[in-house]
Amino acid sequence: MHSITLVQGILLAVMAIIVGFDFWLEGLYLFRPIIVCTLTGLILGDLKTGLIAGGLTELAFTGLTPVGGTQPPNPILAGIMTTVIAYTTGADPKATIGLALPFSFLMQYVILFYYSTFSVTMKKAEEYADNADTKSFAKLNWITILIIGLTYGVIVFLCTYVAQAPMKVLVESMPVWLKHGFEIAGGILPAVGFGLLLRVMLKVEYIPFLIIGFLAASFLNFSNLLPVALIGTAFALYGYFNDKNKAELTQAANNNQGGNDYDEGI
Amino acid sequence: MTKESNTKMTKKDLRTLAFRSVFLQASFNYERMQAGGWTYSMLPFLKRIHKDDKKALSESMKDNLGFINTNPTMVGFLMGLVISLEENNEDRSVIKGLRVALFGPLAGIGDAIFWFTVLPIVAGICSSFALEGNVLGPILFFAVYVCIFLSRIIWTTAGYNLGTKAITTLRENSKVIAKAATVLGITVIGGLIASYVHVNLAVEIPVAAGHTISLQKDFVDKILPNILPLGYTLGMFGLLKKKSISPTTLILVTFVGAIVLSFLGIL
Repeated sequence: MHSITLVQGILLAVMAIIVGFDFWLEGLYLFRPIIVCTLTGLILGDLKTGLIAGGLTELAFTGLTPVGGTQPPNPILAGIMTTVIAYTTGADPKATIGLALPFSFLMQYVILFYYSTFSVTMKKAEEYADNADTKSFAKLNWITILIIGLTYGVIVFLCTYVAQAPMKVLVESMPVWLKHGFEIAGGILPAVGFGLLLRVMLKVEYIPFLIIGFLAASFLNFSNLLPVALIGTAFALYGYFNDKNKAELTQAANNNQGGNDYDEGI
Repeated sequence: MTKESNTKMTKKDLRTLAFRSVFLQASFNYERMQAGGWTYSMLPFLKRIHKDDKKALSESMKDNLGFINTNPTMVGFLMGLVISLEENNEDRSVIKGLRVALFGPLAGIGDAIFWFTVLPIVAGICSSFALEGNVLGPILFFAVYVCIFLSRIIWTTAGYNLGTKAITTLRENSKVIAKAATVLGITVIGGLIASYVHVNLAVEIPVAAGHTISLQKDFVDKILPNILPLGYTLGMFGLLKKKSISPTTLILVTFVGAIVLSFLGIL
């Protein structure tokens, strides 16, 4: 039985900020449990527990990927808490993976909340783009990164040092409809982004292609959009050669006319 | 002449762009996903390309702020391509069309390689080391991902070279190509609506003892799959275009609506 010291709590928070940045940006994959658990083990002075927890949690999280803007249960909180609970209670990391899950869900919902609320930054970004204000535009991107990092730091400090038990109660008492609501909002919000794209690009003559793309993706039920893009490419090429032919014909016709004028001139 | 050569990307520039592509998700959000970070990653180069022309820079920034969601490791390919088109002053609709058309397939390819192939293999091997208490596990894992990170330079350079080579063809037929690129882009947006927007009714109507009809599965899906996402997106499009309602309002309404409807058990 161990308890977490203040210094360890702070070190864990600092580590969480760094790997939190990395998870947000998907840079060096430091956020994977195998790395997070090992670092946690190092900070707690129990590398072996960290390694074993890392191996177990990594395997458990292999299928949970943040692909296509979805957000899986948070691997960082899962990694840290699996190791921390194993260290403090002396339990087998196999069992503590399950105990760490509520914390992992907590962070998942916090990130989902940011995904939704950060939509508001796009209005500001649009404004800065209007004025070609590159400095403010850069600042905006840094503010969002820093908010994420700080959140990781605070939550990990709270979960590991200040109040493990109350945090768990909080997570478990969050109503299902609220969690579900966040997920639903995440599923619908891209519609606004696509509406904006269509506002810029859609003209009446392009409506057929919107319908075809939509139907193709709906009925193919394929894991990525490559087939749809190829269908689009087929139409684009077909249109391209047609238009080019037409342009050449008109040009040839014009040339002919020009030639006739010339003949008459003689 | 000197101005021309100033705006070309050197090898060092391409490396910088490749490393800066790590900011892709800096301001990730559900409305436009990676748009803010995408623009920020390329910003120094966009600024250099349009240096004296504030209006051109503003237009480029606005175009690049459109919805984008692709694979972070390979995004450099698309960034290199877009930068090469920007520095050759390619027609804006060509850039827009290609950007929209390519991010989805690139995401598909990148995710398939890095998340669904490389990660399970590397994680599997490294975890087996770690489970034996061997530090080699996490160290090997880290080394592999440093290499993958460095591969961003390769993608970025390839995208840039492709764009530079294609530029003369693009230039000669720019109007026709702009139209073709838009056709491609619009087709993909149709596909994006079907695969990224999710609206599922949770309502179930009891018809007989122990028998219920799911409004989504037995009714809506029988009309046309994804009809609700399509309807909602077109609704957003209509409100943005015809009524000029701001995106922020639409986001707030959607967000609050989703939570209320979840509470009522409708979604």
